[in-house]
Formats: sequence, C-alpha cells, structure tokens
Amino acid sequence: MREITYSQALREAMSQEMREDSSVLLIGEDVGGGYRGCFGVSTGMLEEFGENQIIDTPISENTILGAGIGAALMGMKPIVEMMFEDFIAICFDGILNQAAKVKFMSGDQFSLNLVVRLPGGSGNGTGPHHSQCLESIFMSIPGLKIAVPSNAYDAKGLLKTSINLGEPVLFFEHKKLYKTKSEVPEEAYSIPFGKGKIIKEGSDLTIVALSYMVNVAKESVLELENRYGLNVEIIDPRTIVPLDIDIIGESVKKTSKLIILEEGVLRGGVGAEICSQVNEKFFDYLDYPIKRIASKNMAVPMSPFLEKAMIPNKDSVLDEIKEYLKL
Amino acid sequence: MDLDKDLSLKLLEKMLLARKFEEKVYDLAKKGVVHGSVHLCIGEEATAAGTVLALDKSDYIMPTHRGHGQALAKGADPKKFLAEIIAKETGLCKGRVGSMHTYDRENNNLGAQGILGAQFPISIGVGLSIKLKKLDSVVMCSFGDGTSNQGTFFEGLNFADIWDLPIVFVCVNNLYGMGTHYSDTCNISINQKAKIFNIITETADGNDVEEVYLKTKKLVSKVKKEKRPALIECYTYRWLGHSAFDNRPYRPKEEVKKWKKLDPIKRYIDKLKKNNIEDSKIKSVKEKVDKIIAEAEKFALASDYPTFDDSMEQ
Repeated sequence: MREITYSQALREAMSQEMREDSSVLLIGEDVGGGYRGCFGVSTGMLEEFGENQIIDTPISENTILGAGIGAALMGMKPIVEMMFEDFIAICFDGILNQAAKVKFMSGDQFSLNLVVRLPGGSGNGTGPHHSQCLESIFMSIPGLKIAVPSNAYDAKGLLKTSINLGEPVLFFEHKKLYKTKSEVPEEAYSIPFGKGKIIKEGSDLTIVALSYMVNVAKESVLELENRYGLNVEIIDPRTIVPLDIDIIGESVKKTSKLIILEEGVLRGGVGAEICSQVNEKFFDYLDYPIKRIASKNMAVPMSPFLEKAMIPNKDSVLDEIKEYLKL
Repeated sequence: MDLDKDLSLKLLEKMLLARKFEEKVYDLAKKGVVHGSVHLCIGEEATAAGTVLALDKSDYIMPTHRGHGQALAKGADPKKFLAEIIAKETGLCKGRVGSMHTYDRENNNLGAQGILGAQFPISIGVGLSIKLKKLDSVVMCSFGDGTSNQGTFFEGLNFADIWDLPIVFVCVNNLYGMGTHYSDTCNISINQKAKIFNIITETADGNDVEEVYLKTKKLVSKVKKEKRPALIECYTYRWLGHSAFDNRPYRPKEEVKKWKKLDPIKRYIDKLKKNNIEDSKIKSVKEKVDKIIAEAEKFALASDYPTFDDSMEQ
C-alpha cells in the first residue's frame, strides 16, 4: 500500500469529506491564502474548494472558534484550526462553556458537528507559548471528545469520524508527526472513538503511550528488548475521551505491569486518569504500582538542554523503564 | 406613521405577555418555586417586542441573559418556557438550564447567553452559515450595554464587516451592567463603537415600541438587501434588580421615577386609545394574555421534575 505523511492524511480526510458535503468547512488563521496552514496541512485546498469552504480569518481565536460553534448550530460541519494548540487558551470559554455544553443545555435540541484541530507538542525550541500538550486540561470537561492520533493511518480515519460525530471533538495533532509516514488507504474510512490499538504485542510489560510518545515508546522498547530479551506490549488508546480502558485492562491482565507515557506535564495528566481507572477496575491483576512517565511540571523551555530535560525522550524513558522493572 | 391595527395589537400583546410572564416568574421566585436565579426585563418590553417582531419566522435570535421577552416575542411556548424556569422536565430544555439559557429550536432561538460576550463569536458562525446557505434570513444578536466592553464585541463587529454578514446586533442599553453605570465603563457610545467598523447603525427610544419596531424593521430589510450587518441601540431601563433579589442601592430614586413614568406598556395603551383603537380590543388582548399565563402556570406546576439518567453523562 502507498505511504503518505500524517499531514497528507489529514488533508485527504478533510478533502474527501468536503467533496462529499459542501457544509464541511475549514476555518482558521492562514488556512487558505498565504501559508496554506501554518504547517502546510491545507496546501492546495483553497484552490480545490474555494473561499466558501476554506475560510481565512483575522487573528481572533475567540471568534474563529465561535464561528465554528455558530456554524455547527446551523447544521454545518466546521473544522476549526488553531494555528498552535497553545492559542486555545484565548478561546477557552468557547470550549468550556459553549461547545461542550450546547447539547446538554439545549435539552438535546442541538448537537454540534465541530472539530477543533490542535497542532501541539514540543521538541523544536518553540518555547512556552508554542509547544504544549494540553490534552489533560480538557479531559475533565464533560461534553468534549478527544482524539490523539499517533500516525497517518489513524489521523485520517479519526478525522473522518470526528467531522461527522455530532459532538465537539478536540483533535490533537503533534507537530513532530506531520512528516512521519505510514500506509494509508486511498479510499475514505472511519476509525471509531473509544477503540484503542495494540501497536506491538508483548507479555512482560504494558506501556500506554499517547500521540508522538508512541514513537518514543517504540524506540525505547526496541532497545530494551534487544538488551534484556523482554517482550513489551505498547498500546495507543487513539482517543482519550472516550477511553478504551478495556484494551488496557486486558493487557494488564497479561503483563501485570503498567507504564503510562505522555508528553503533557505529570501533575493531573492523562496518565493520572488512566492510572485511577486501572486501579479501580484491574487492581487485582497488578504486580507493581502503576508508573507514569510525563513531562516535568514546568513551562516548556526554548533551551534545547532544558527542553530535553523536561520532556520524555528515548533515553529517559528507557532509564525509567529499567528503574521500574529493577533491571 | 401609524401601524396597521392588528400589528399594533400584536406589539401590545407581546409586551404584555413579557410583563405578565415575568410578574408570574417574580411571584414564583418570591414563593421559592424558582430554583436559582432569574433576570427580569420588566420595563424593557418595548425593546424586546419591537426588535423581535420586526423579524420573520425564518430569522434567528440569540437572546441575552435577560431574554424572556425576546424569546416569547419570537414565539416560545409560555407553558414550556415557564416549566423550564421552574425546572420541570416539560420545559423547553427539559428543565435542565432554567431562565438564563433557553434554547428553542422550533422558533429559531439559538440559545440565550449566560456568558456575557460569548454571543458575538457564535453569531459570526450563524451569519456565515446563513450567507453560505444563501438563506433569506438574519440573525439577531442581542446584548446589554455592559457587554459591549468585551473584546469579543469588537472581534464580532470586525468579522461581520469583513465577511458582510447578515447580523442585526441589538444593544439593550438599560444603563447599568449589574450595578455599574455604563458611563463609568466607557467614554464612547455603543453605536459609535459599531460605526468604527462600518456597521449600519441606528438608535431608538427603547421604551417606544413602535419606534423600535419600525427602525428595526427597516434595518432588517436593509441587512437582507445590502448583505451588510447593522446595529440598533435601544435606550431603556430595567425596573427591577439585576437578578430577582437585588435591592438596587445603586439606583437614584429620581432616575427610577423618571423611567417608570415612561412605562412602555402604559405609554402604548395611551397611544392606541388616542389612535381610536377600541377599549374592547385592548381589553381582549389583556384577557388573552392573562389566560395564557394562567394556563402556563397550571401546566408548569403540574409537570414533573426531570430525573437523572446515565445518558446525561458525557
């Protein structure tokens, strides 16, 4: 099968939906003219779909998101692009008080087909305002669904599902994944929310990794297995709301050991939630306490040295796994 | 210009409906039947009825947190609305959200707003959709004087301008944002703010229902024809507190007295009488409204409270 990048997969998912349905819109800063998306995700889409579907905006995140909410109230299927995930802070009301609550507040009179695409993540020195992984902040807001695709195949299938889900979706894209390639079918397909994926089977340890950290987990595990002859299972939940706790639980039943790996900060992280749920449902199967590996509780520094110290990488993850397994 | 007699009586009916409905809500609040807070628009009925009745059925509204009058004028069923306010499952939103957040899809009411200023960004998406779908509609986005100090207002005006959106912004200028007078918060008027962004603007005596109606009507047709946004600022006054149990220490007595003399309903009845509309017609409007309110109360009180079910968890 052909291989395409994560960026191309996202573009293909949006384009296929737009060809089928003119109510699918892409709204954001520089998504059309000029940059074609800050990271080039929407390259060529303005030429194909025109200004009625690829909608450039002023720098006004509140209204960019609000435009998405209003359009979704009117039955459109807007995809809103935050240029950087960090900028969502400006329009937090729209997420917390508006989009997330419309369905409940309206007594189910309205439901929103609304996707908010959020390029995030660090590793390239863009510093504290352009590098964060903020999934955990939004996990505690009822009414939102959250996708964290780690590869091009999942990105395409989850984005198609998101556009048609009828509930607001925060779609977290890691910037370091945009150029990564995987096999992606040309035809449109959907991946359901709440279905995790076993990236690699194993029986000695379970690692649940999110987004780009799936790649880091793979690298660390490769080295670990080569050196110690272990067999590690890696699970990518793909969506964290809803969370496929059963795929994690079934793995823990085999391995009795669980590490959760994410790029967001440790305190109150996605790992904390997964850890609690596993404790509540699968405690009897655990041999060791669950371990969380995440970024240190600090702002993302520009300094490459500090950035490396803050964010989990292949070596730091390997060290933590070894410590956990007392190797 | 005198209005057609049926239309005049309709304006009176919607003002009276808002007044009597809110008097009932206030009464129920004092009796402890209303759970939570209510924001009443008593005194502002001419602005609510005059602006909303200038719309067609196919137009959309986004009422303020003080939006009972606007929602009723657009056609909200008083039974379901009162049931919503007293938290009953037969309410417009299944008794979940009460007075401040009513959505009424059947009447193109896209939701009253509890977060002041949040309506502007959303109205842009509604206007954009009307434009993209080529509908012959407008969205009426209402807000108070205090809310015009939110940054989202300026963003909204800018987007409405650059995208040529069919939005009619309605400022219900009742002088106070909670207890703070508008003049303490901004040195320029609200319509001036809109003019900066090339918005077609209008001002009106918000206690003169015909003036509000006629000026809004003209703006609505202009918006539809010229495909440009507009704003009308209506000067009015809320007689009661910010919420039902606010004692209003910030209000000068003389000011209250002055505005009560301008009671939009009494003023309009006097005008109708002067225009030779028969007393019997006015009386029958009053009786009709009284009957609607009595039925609404009966329905709401007799309804059940909602119960939790798992599907509410998200």
